[in-house]
Amino acid sequence: MKPPRTFARAATRRRLLWIIPLFVLIAAVVTHGVRDRAIAAQVLRADPEAILGDPMLRDAAIAAGHPVYAQHCASCHGAAGKGDRTLGVPHLTDNEHLYREGTVAQIEDIARYGIRAGNKHGWNLAVMPAYASKNPDAAEPLPPQTPAQIETLARFIHAFTAGVTDPAAQQRGRDAYNKAGCWDCHGRDLGGDGAIGAPALTDDIWLYGGSIADIRRSISRGRAGMSPAFARKLTPAELRNVAVYVASLAPIQSDRK
Amino acid sequence: MTQDTASPTPTPTPTPPPTLAPAGALWDVHQPVGRRSLLLAAVGALLGLGIAGYGLFTAQGTRTASIPAEDAALVNAIPVLRADLIAQVTALYSVPYAQTTRSQRQKVLDDMVREELYVQRGVEMGLSNDDIDVRQALVQATEGQIAQDAATAKPAEDELRGWYTAHRAKYASEGLMTLHEWRVPAGADPQRAVAALRSGTAPDALGLKTTGRVDDGEEFYFAAQEHLGTRVFAVARGLADGAISNPIPSPDGVHIVQMIRNTRPVATPYPEARDQVLRDFLADKIARLQEGNKRFLKKRADIKIAADLQ
Repeated sequence: MKPPRTFARAATRRRLLWIIPLFVLIAAVVTHGVRDRAIAAQVLRADPEAILGDPMLRDAAIAAGHPVYAQHCASCHGAAGKGDRTLGVPHLTDNEHLYREGTVAQIEDIARYGIRAGNKHGWNLAVMPAYASKNPDAAEPLPPQTPAQIETLARFIHAFTAGVTDPAAQQRGRDAYNKAGCWDCHGRDLGGDGAIGAPALTDDIWLYGGSIADIRRSISRGRAGMSPAFARKLTPAELRNVAVYVASLAPIQSDRK
Repeated sequence: MTQDTASPTPTPTPTPPPTLAPAGALWDVHQPVGRRSLLLAAVGALLGLGIAGYGLFTAQGTRTASIPAEDAALVNAIPVLRADLIAQVTALYSVPYAQTTRSQRQKVLDDMVREELYVQRGVEMGLSNDDIDVRQALVQATEGQIAQDAATAKPAEDELRGWYTAHRAKYASEGLMTLHEWRVPAGADPQRAVAALRSGTAPDALGLKTTGRVDDGEEFYFAAQEHLGTRVFAVARGLADGAISNPIPSPDGVHIVQMIRNTRPVATPYPEARDQVLRDFLADKIARLQEGNKRFLKKRADIKIAADLQ
């Protein structure tokens, strides 16, 4: 039996009441997804250093980068990016960067290829030799230092932040610094070399601590911190997003390259 | 009276000849229209094809439709990463990427494309088998890959502590010693010289001369061992502060060691050694993974070794 015409119209109207919002919802979800994908692609195509200056790209990258950071980086760098001195893991919320200037592109490179992580694209150059050992450096024949020389060097470096109390000892320290070849990485002016990850020794920023005992230990036992290479573990988008997130943790630098 | 009691039989309605549904019927869902079913099926098929095509041409590894956002170029479907381009451009011109010109970027990209083409050609030509540098680079890169995989997961604190406990001696400080090494003059009695030294007689008074091997003051154990030789060092290591050794016969005469101060190695507390523990733990993990990888590769490979070399 055929339903009356008016009943059929009412049923159609009821159906439309469900179908139209459903279509609108689907359209909204699809549009949102397409828009998100477009923004994600824009984040990847953009000049990395321009992302933090573009509110739309910045927000999208930071929102996507935060969970990546939490999953892969926070175990060493800490949830708030404050680092860990016992492991020589750097503080990410200051403006000090051991490896160059801390641009988004440089952070992304480190996340992708690591530091001393076995990837040839990565930063594998400098290792702090262990001068209280028979062979201080595996890659280069360097002479070990005597306990007295190590003590002189440690006091010399410590004096830059603690203050010079004995100018003669400071001169002996400088002679020891030059003789031991420390300048080769840290520079004649002790200003460091960001290109090889050799830190400046005259400021009060310390990766492993700046007490005289910490400095003595760094000279005696050496240091060689490592950052893993995530090239095979994270997608390009995740790497870019996490780099933007990490860069956003540091205060804005007007001269950032 | 005859009454027609039979109910009136409905006259069968003649079936209308099949005609095309009126135009408006296609959109009236209450009217069955064959064309609508076909249309919906066609739309569904097209939608399915579209989704399948999108998946096929945009999935990872099948980058054929367009250049993915993260890539600067595709060379025979092998990507050249934008990030690598940026790194190379900034390294080459020493200016921020934004300040480089289009031609500078294109030049670097052109070089990268050329490199990729040559790499692909090299693989085609079998250089990975022939060229010694390529072979070494491949071995190192494969080893490096294993190292990367091993390092991306940070070990748990318990694992690090366990490692430290098992290798505590490795994290001890280097021992230190300050000492004199005397040579007994020819004809003198070494035992008497030792007894005199132990009773406080000055070495000069006994005619003892230094060997000159450890006169630089405090030395690390490894340096003292290097200077004294294994045999004399072993004796020296066992001496307490202020102790005098027994005579030690040596090729150049009899030696006596006078220990001034012997500071033995001290275990470094875990928090101070943590960075080194992590480094050693990972190095060991990498070595084990590489060993396991070698076993796996050997197991799956078909290796035949000549009978005389087995």
